[in-house]
Order: sequence, then structure tokens, then C-alpha cells
Amino acid sequence: MMFDWLTPTLIAVLLVLAGIGAVRRMNLWRAGQADKVDLIAGLMAMPKRYLHDLHHVVERDKYISRTHVATGGGFVLAMLLVVFVHLFGVDSKVLAWLLLAALVMMFYGAVFVFKRRLNPPSRLSKGPWMRLPKSLLTFSITFFVLTLPAAGVLPEGFGGGLLTVVLSFCILASLVEMLFGMTWGGPMKHAFAGALHLAFHRRPERFGGGRSTGLKAAVLGETSHGVAKPTDFKWNQLLGFDACVQCGRCEAVCPAFAAGQPLNPKKLIQDMVVGFAGGTDEKYAGSPYPNVEVGNAKGGPDQIITDGLIHPDTLWSCTTCRACVEECPMMIEHVDAIVDMRRFLTLEKGDTPNKGAQVLENIIATDNPNGFSPSSRTHWAADQNLNLMKDVQQADVLFWVSDGAFDMRSQRILRAFVKLLKAANVDVAILGDEELDSGDVARRLGDDATFQNLAKRNLAILSQYRFKTIVTTDPHAFHCLRNEYADFDSDLNALASVEVLHHTTFLNRLVQEGRLQLDTFKGGKVTYHDPCYLGRYNGEYDAPRELLASLGIDVAEMERSGYRSRCCGGGGGAPITDIPGERRIADMRMEDVVSTGAELVAVGCQQCTAMLEGVVEPRPVVKDIAEILAGQLIEEAH
Amino acid sequence: MQPSVNVVSLVSVGRHPQSDRSRRADQDARAVELGLKLAGKNLTLVHAGDPENPVLRQYAGMGLDAFTVLRQKSYSDVLPIIGNFLTENNAHVVLMGIRAESGESSGMLPYLLAEKLGWPLLSRVADILHVENGKADVLLALPRGQRRAVTVSLPFIATVDNAAKDARQSAYGPGIRASITVLDAEQTADNMAASWAISPAKPRAKRMKVVKAKNAADRFKAATAKPVGGGGNVLKQGTPAEKAQAIFDLLLEEKVIR
Amino acid sequence: MSNLIRRDPRAERIARNRLHPLHASMMLAEQGEVRGPSGLIRKNPHLVGFIGPNGLKRIDRANAFAGTVNRQKRVSTAQEVVLPLHQVVNPDGYIVVVPDMVGGRLTSQDKDILGLAHSLIAQKGTGKSANMAVVAVCFGESKESQFDLAGVDRLIHLSSDVFDGFTPEARLSALMQVEAQYQPEHWLFPDSVNGGTDLASRLAARLGERPATQAWQVSTTQTVCRGASASTDITRETPRILMLLEECGTAIDETRHEVLSLSVESYDQVPARLLDKGLMSVDPNAVPLAEAEFILSAGNGIHNWDQFHECASVLGATEGASRVAVDDGFMPRTRQVGASGTWVTARVYLAVGISGAIQHMQGIGQCGKVVAINTDAGCDMVKRADLAVIADSEAVLAELTKLVQEHHASKVQEEKHNAA
Repeated sequence: MMFDWLTPTLIAVLLVLAGIGAVRRMNLWRAGQADKVDLIAGLMAMPKRYLHDLHHVVERDKYISRTHVATGGGFVLAMLLVVFVHLFGVDSKVLAWLLLAALVMMFYGAVFVFKRRLNPPSRLSKGPWMRLPKSLLTFSITFFVLTLPAAGVLPEGFGGGLLTVVLSFCILASLVEMLFGMTWGGPMKHAFAGALHLAFHRRPERFGGGRSTGLKAAVLGETSHGVAKPTDFKWNQLLGFDACVQCGRCEAVCPAFAAGQPLNPKKLIQDMVVGFAGGTDEKYAGSPYPNVEVGNAKGGPDQIITDGLIHPDTLWSCTTCRACVEECPMMIEHVDAIVDMRRFLTLEKGDTPNKGAQVLENIIATDNPNGFSPSSRTHWAADQNLNLMKDVQQADVLFWVSDGAFDMRSQRILRAFVKLLKAANVDVAILGDEELDSGDVARRLGDDATFQNLAKRNLAILSQYRFKTIVTTDPHAFHCLRNEYADFDSDLNALASVEVLHHTTFLNRLVQEGRLQLDTFKGGKVTYHDPCYLGRYNGEYDAPRELLASLGIDVAEMERSGYRSRCCGGGGGAPITDIPGERRIADMRMEDVVSTGAELVAVGCQQCTAMLEGVVEPRPVVKDIAEILAGQLIEEAH
Repeated sequence: MQPSVNVVSLVSVGRHPQSDRSRRADQDARAVELGLKLAGKNLTLVHAGDPENPVLRQYAGMGLDAFTVLRQKSYSDVLPIIGNFLTENNAHVVLMGIRAESGESSGMLPYLLAEKLGWPLLSRVADILHVENGKADVLLALPRGQRRAVTVSLPFIATVDNAAKDARQSAYGPGIRASITVLDAEQTADNMAASWAISPAKPRAKRMKVVKAKNAADRFKAATAKPVGGGGNVLKQGTPAEKAQAIFDLLLEEKVIR
Repeated sequence: MSNLIRRDPRAERIARNRLHPLHASMMLAEQGEVRGPSGLIRKNPHLVGFIGPNGLKRIDRANAFAGTVNRQKRVSTAQEVVLPLHQVVNPDGYIVVVPDMVGGRLTSQDKDILGLAHSLIAQKGTGKSANMAVVAVCFGESKESQFDLAGVDRLIHLSSDVFDGFTPEARLSALMQVEAQYQPEHWLFPDSVNGGTDLASRLAARLGERPATQAWQVSTTQTVCRGASASTDITRETPRILMLLEECGTAIDETRHEVLSLSVESYDQVPARLLDKGLMSVDPNAVPLAEAEFILSAGNGIHNWDQFHECASVLGATEGASRVAVDDGFMPRTRQVGASGTWVTARVYLAVGISGAIQHMQGIGQCGKVVAINTDAGCDMVKRADLAVIADSEAVLAELTKLVQEHHASKVQEEKHNAA
């Protein structure tokens, strides 16, 4: 046959080109900063991470998970066999039949991809992604036909010249997409970068059911802080950006995007790719940042990101609710990237918007965000008869009060919780005026210097006393104490053997141990709002629900609840930076509440309480779980 | 602006009103902000005191690569060294806060400097519009947001009012990287202040309404009568025009409509 | 006229004596028949009885004093109290007070300082050294008519036009002349933003005296001053020059004073290095919200925002807003009034469609007069308001705008008329 050499040559050439592309792409990633990664272990763990962890996320959409298994699995198998059968010409009927089977599987998947793309939801990117199902179909059909002779179904040399020309063209078309495109920036890039991203992920703890949500500490005292240019990211963060499949699940869950604030997590990640690869966002074919036109963003590996690539408002719109991270099938870390860039804006440019500057100044000067006198921190507890750690030196439980101590609404939660603790005879003490802001707001606003300062001072105080458990009613402080202070605790070991609990977890234990006598709740319908920093950040979805159930409440769940809970709009300093949008996040969340028909929404966070209560009445009543419990407490008559 | 204009901002260590902790003094920071507007990076930032004080980094964090500290012990008289520094460095515009947030906070330093150097002085400046041909157009802050325009010839000293533009955020990174030039200076002890007794501020009693009644009935009435003005006038009836008239009359009476 | 009830013995006598020739006419004049619209005779209940000498109402059943009832119209003009005159003859020393005279009148701080000056003299006892006079130095036009009641023994009124406007240098040289001529024992200034602090500091620097600033407790020997942004008290010897805080003394209210003019010989005319270019016209919306004198504030009840902005500009008011109005994007965040926005100090606060959340009420705590326009008569803002109007804001604002426009138009007319 006259074109015998053509197929292997095409495959070989494209494989070589793909190899060149891969090296080139890797060099782009390597422009990033060094990060300690166990390369070998990562690569070894990669298949398991793909099959287990990644698939666990994809599985939330059954349609696409099956489609992806068929298509992706079929393609990987088929491509391997194509190399053997068509490039090296291994003459084995078994291999040929195997290849045929793989191609059928891939074809089957590709049909479903094709169907999804007939009328795609708005979160999916269009452009080259619309071409992908056709390329997949072409690949599977072409190689199916090519393989038939090898499997002995058709005679060698079947079809003659014309068919060969057509097939060659098809081979070229599909292989350009599948091989060349994989490393030169086509849609198939996600397979290549995604696989490596899984292997070299910056938070390997996330795989195998673990959780890693604490922000990485900024290195202080260098010539620059935070991420100014794309190359200031760690190399594996850049790799992570490249793994994006533009499925838009992040966009669908992002509260800022829904509120019409200029943030779209998908576009942000794509802009990062534009940044480190250089160029403009003209080719981006997904939803834009709300009310921002696509095509004007320019970037390069060594250009300042906020000068032309991303508007700072985009970064300040984020509530750090982690909904995008939770939903991302490629396990990309959006929040890390956003806070990294915020660090540059705050620490280097001194450009925290709106009240941000003032809040940070207050935290620095008074250890609380509103500039209250530090000596008034314990005023709320004047009538509570609580032990101070300074006096008792040790207690079973340390109650971390957090900055709610200064806010009259939050004080009601604190008092309710104290009432419950007393009813259960818990040996509890507070730090009083020695307690400082946890640093949560400072850290989310990018001021890691202030956060680290507060963390070290808080740890120094904590290390003076003995206690087994810290309980707090503030999920933000909870997250800092539990997940973020460890980076600064290596010398003091203040929290090394201490259990840090949210008050709902702790109360749930008390209830289960029978230490609290509670009446059944006879109010109307109740729903529960999962605070981001309790749920997604710390995985505590059950304790609040069990507590409500112990009151006989059958929680009317909102559509967005559990790990899909929508933020109240109060996290990440968003109420402080206050980027204008079309709606308020709290209003949207209250609509979710209203749609359940609930008269009462139970919350486990003072910030959520404040945000939801800020919605104009009439609206359901907002109460912290501690308040609801305290209301149902059966107090023994003395 | 003109690079030939030499702008100096004098800063002190402030004190947070709630926590008593050292901070960037509010008015001084505004003086730096105004200086940055006039001179950009060429602003000379000067402090007389302890060069190790971390608060100085907060001023530098507003965007200055370097600043100067005239080393002084606390409670010494800074007038001579600052005066010498200003003449030696040929300053044209000297900016500072009205009163320090710590120490005596008499606000006399600018006046004494002006007297010593023979320069004109403007107090409570809201803004310096421009500096041209040896003259500066300055806006003074008056109560209730009013402004007065004044022209002054260089060199001059100005104290910056709270009505001036807010100081920009201090960035951590540039602050810790700024270089300090420390100049050792002669110490002049402040002997008079040494004899003062300084104690925490006593709260001042609010003045009571003193009733000087001549007879018992009036005194009784003054002691027991409900203060006038509890509960205002509520207009429910009437046309919008009548209601508007009532409001209008009150506004006229209060002289907010002229 | 005093408002004491005075008896008219003659009228009483005539009333008692029915045989008196004038009895009939006098009784008739007092109790003429009044017939109502139906022709019936009407009794005026208010005419029954009279006010007895002890101020209580008495009903005279015997009709014995009928003739005197209401003969005396009660005159309610305030009794002119003539206070004793405090005279200082040939004073041996002076305490000079330089009042702010905001708007040409003594401020309450000025009066307190004049009172303090007198109490300093009183502390010196009755000896020769205590024969001192309090001198007030006023610059420019004065509208004050009660220097005598405020405790001014001597007045130096410098009304030359070189002191008009912003003229600290000219004023300083005049004060230097006062110093040379009278060598006052003390110089007292208000420590205020109205120029007192500035002038005092200039004088102190020129004289090389170390003044006491932010003084609030002053005796002849000891002064307590605030220091370190009002966080410390500095106790020190009383210096010659004092800058005094508000309520540092008690104003004079029991004596009158002479207000004799003192002259100042010619003083140096210094060439002014500070050229006053006059007051700037300030856009009310450029005034910081915290400082604004008159705020028109909008809340959830505003639906016609164009009208609101127009009304604010016609009224010359600074615009404010409630949190909800800001959250809904109708007003910028910088305009938010309340605990999480700006704490305002306006003299007049006109709240339109704001029901008054607790955070908002906190923010307007220091306001003078509060006017509310609201549809809900039960809301907290109406409870707080000095004048509340229960109506739809749109109609009232429209009428108010019209009224103010007419007011301005008539003013312009008047001015034209006067000019003609």
C-alpha cells in the first residue's frame, strides 16, 4: 500500500510535537517559585488521586462522571494501544481487538459529550470546547476504521486511495486536537496538566478524604510580599491553573458571581493562565466577570497582575467561602491564589479598599477590628461570673470569646453559650482582656504580617495556661486556632495537645452525654445555614443538625446546604472591602431561607447572624444554635 | 510638583486613644500625605527621637524609601535640632500635625520654629493647592467644613488639620525596607517640664444647669420639673404643603436656610 | 411693670357700695350681657373668679370684688433686673482676655473665660494687688451688646479694617502693643479652633513665654492642663499665658461691669506675609459628613432619587443615607450615617423615609434638631424627632423644594429692590 508509512509518521510527528509542547509548558510552570514537593511519591499516588479523590468530586454530576470515565478511560487506553498497534506496528490481534473495544467505549462517551454540548449550560465555556466532542468522535471513528484490518475484520489495503486520504486527514485533525492540543494549550491540556497537578498538588493532605484549608504562611521581610507577578506563584500553583477544564462549577456556586460582583472564579483561573503564558484574554469563551468586558486583559509572566490583567476589585470581591474549591473537580485552589494576590496589594501597595485600611490599622493598634479599647473586651461578661485564666491558671475548657465580645448582638450568643456551659457544669474559663483578635480578618485581607503577629502573641498567652479543650462560638477564630496557628506553634506547643472545637460540636457532646436537659422546640419550621468556616473549612456539618434534632426539630434543608451551602457574604473581609455588585449576598441567602418556608434560621456563626439579620424585614428570625438551645434549657429548680 | 520645592514633614509618635499604644499620629500622617502630594518620593520625612521606634516604619510605609531621625532622648527639647536641620537642608515647606498625641501636646513647636526661623506660619491647613514662584496657595480648615484661601510666600511652616486628606494606608513591605539616616544631635533637657506632675486624665464633670432661684417654689420647680423638649411635635393632619411649611419654618428658625 | 396682682381699693369700694353713684356703670362695664347666636344670654366661665393676692384663683360667691376682676391686665414682660455694678477704679493690674467673638458675639467659652478671669482676681483677696480689671480685646466688627453682663471691665476694641478676615500677624502686633502698654498679669485665650489657640501660640512664641495649653482648672498658683491628646493631666504653676478649654470657669451672672474703653497707642503695621483670599464657597456635598451642619438624609422610604438630590441642592444640605439606601446602591458608602458609617454632628438633621435602626440612631446622637418625614408614625425616628411629619416623602419634598425656591427668589427680588 502506497500510504503505509503515513499513519505511523503522522502519529510519530505529532507525538514529538506534543513532547516539545510538554517541555515548553513545563518551563512555563517552572518560572514559578520553588515549592517542596515529593515528585516520585506524587507521581505514584497520582492514579489513585485521580480515580478516588477527583472522581469523588466529578461524581456529584452523575451524567458527566460516567461520560468522563468512558471518554477519558477509553482515550487513554486507546492512545496507548494506538502507539503499539499503529506506530510500532505490533501485529497482535488481541491488541487490535482491545483497541477496538477501547475506541467503542470512547465513542460511546464522546456521544454523551456531544449531547451535553448541543445545548450547554451557561457555566460551560464555549469556543474550542465546542469542537472537542467532534474531535473525540473523529478520533474514535478514524482509529476504529484503521484498526479493523489489524483485527482481521477487513482485508489489508481495504478501501483504496480515497479512503486513505480521508482517513489521513481525520488522523491529522483528531491527533492535532488530542496530542498537539494537549500540550500547546488546547482543551485537552486539562488531561496533561491535570494529571501532573494531581501528582504535585500543593496540598497533598486533601487526598484520601483529608482536609487542608489553612492558608500558607507568607514569608515576611523579603524584597516583596505576596504575589505581584504570575511568576511569584509557586510552580505547582501555576500548574494547577493549567489544569482547569473550564467546567464552570465554581462559577455556578460563587456567591460574588451570583451577586453581580466582578468575580468569576473560572475566569480568574483562566486569567492566571493568560498571565503566566503571556497574551490577552480574547480567546476566553466563558462567562465574563459580571459587567466586565472580555478582551481587554493583558498579562505576562513578569508583569504585575493588577496592572491590566485583573482589576483589584475582582480579588476583593471574594468572600473566601471556598465553595469554588470544594466544587472544583481539578482541585484547584482559588482562595489561596486570591489571598496571595491580596497580600501584595495590602503589604506592598497599601491598597486595601474602603474600610480595609482602617480596620487593619485598628487591629494593629487595638487588637480588634473596630478600634475598641482593649480593656473593654470583657465588659460583656461583667455579670457572667466567669473564671479568668489569669486567676485559675487551668480549666477543662477554655472559652475563646473572639471579637463578638464587642458587639451587642454577638454578646447575646456568648451569654446563651455561657448559660448552657453553666447548666452542664463545665469547668470553663476565659482569657478575658488577654485574648486578642484571632487575626482572621487581617489574614483574609492579605495582611499576613499582622496575622502572624497576633497568632504568635495569642499562642504565647495560651501557652501560659493548662486546658484540654478550646471552644469558640466564632467559626473564623475556630479555623485560625485549629488550622492556621500550628505554623507558628512549633516553639511553644501551646496547642499541640489541645482539642479545638466549635461550640456546636461541644454542645452536641454535652447533649449526648445527657448533661443538658432540653425541652422540645415548639416554634415553626426551622432551617439551618452552614457557616463556610465551620462546614467547608472544617467539615462540621453534623453536630449542628444533631443538636437541632435533639430539640425535636426536623430541619427543612435549603437547596444549597451542607458542603454546597452558600456564603452569607460576611467572610474574607468582604463586608469591609464592600465591592459593589447588583445584589447583596446576604439577601440572596435569605431568599434561600425564605424558599424553605422556615420561620427561623439557625446559624452557628456570629458573622452569619449579623449578615442575615442585616436583611430588611420582614424575614425569618435569625438565631445562633446556642441561643435556640438556651431558650429550650430546662433549668433545675434550686 | 516642582522638584525645586523642598518639602519636609515632621512626624511624631502618636498614641491610640483607646489602647494607649504607639501608632502613626493622625495629623502627622496627614502631613505626610500632603507632603507626598506636593513632593512625591522627594518628601523629606523627619522625626526627632528614638530611631528604633517601630512606629516610624508606619510612616515610611506610606511610600518613602528613606527617612531621617534626629536622635533624641525622650523629654528633651527638640526645637534647636529641628530648627538647625531645617535651615541646613534648605526646607521650603514644613508640614506637621497641630498637636502631638503624646507628651505635653501644647502644639507650640511649629510656632516656636516659625519664630526662631522667622518664617510665616499657617495653622490648620486643609490642603495646599499649589506651590509656584515662591508662593503657595493654601486652604485653611475652618469649623463646619468651611475653607479659607490664603497665599503665603516660601519658606513657611504649616500645621495640618484633621480636615486634610486622610493618610493613605501604610504598607508593611516598603515600611520595613525603608532606610533610616540617623543624625546624632545635641541634647537639650526640658527643665521646666521636669517639675510638672503628670497623672492620668480625670474625667471632667459635665456642667450642671445651675438654678439660682430666689424662692423655694422656683427651686423646687427647677429640681423636679421634667426637662422641656421630651417628645417632639408630630404632624399627622394637613396637606403636604402645610407640612412642608412647618419644616421650612423650622429650617428658617435654625438658620440653615438663608 | 411688675406682674404682681394689685388691688384697686377704690374699685372695690365702689363695688361694695351699691349706693355709690358709679356702682351701676362700673359693674355693667365689667359684666355686660353677652348674647349667643341664638339670642340666649351667655356666661363667660373665664370671667368667673379672680386671681387672689397669693396667685391662686378665687371665686367670689358674694360678688364683692366683681368690679376689680380683670381690671388689671397681667403683664408678662420680664422684670428688668438691675444688677449691681462692679467698678474697678484705677486698677493696679490687668488680666487680658482675647475672646474668639465668633460672628461678632462672645461665645459661651469666651464668657466662661471672662468669669475665670474674675475668679482669679477674687482669689487674690482684697488687698491692693487685687484691684485689677478684666480687659477684653476685640478685633473687627462687634455685634455684642452685653459686654457689661459678661464681666468686661475694660474693653479694647480694635475695629480697624486691618483686622478684618484672617489677619493673625496684624492681631499679633496689636497684642504686642497691649503687652507693652499694660503688662497684663495674665493673658487668657480660648483654646479653640476659632483662632484663639493660633493667636495665643503666636503671642507666646513671640514673648518667649511657655503657655499652658488645654487648661481646665486654673487657680492663681496652679493650673491643670490636658496633655497627650487629653489622656493625661499636667499640674503645673500657672503661667502668664493660658489657653483655656470650654467650661474652665463660670460665667459672670450677678454683676454688671463698666466696659470702659481703653486705648492702644499706634502699633507697628507689619507687612502681611499671609494674604487672605477670603472664604471659599463650599459645595455642601464636599463637606465631610461628620462636620456638616445641615444634613438631608435618605432611607428606604425614598423612591424618587432625582427629587431627593434636587431637594438637597436647593436646601444647600449635605446628603446622608441610611445603611439600606447605601446597600441598595442608591448612595455611596461614604454617605452612610450610623454606627457603622459616619457619626454626624449636624445642627439640623432632616431624615426622610428613615425608620431609625438602633445603629442609625446612635450615629445621630449628637445632632441638634431632628426632623423626620415618614409614613410610619410609630417608628423610632419619629419618636426621636423634634418635628415629625407623617406623610409620603415625595409630596412633602416637592412642596419643600418649592417653598425654598420661592424663598430664594423673593430674596433675590429684595436684593434687587435694595440695590435699585
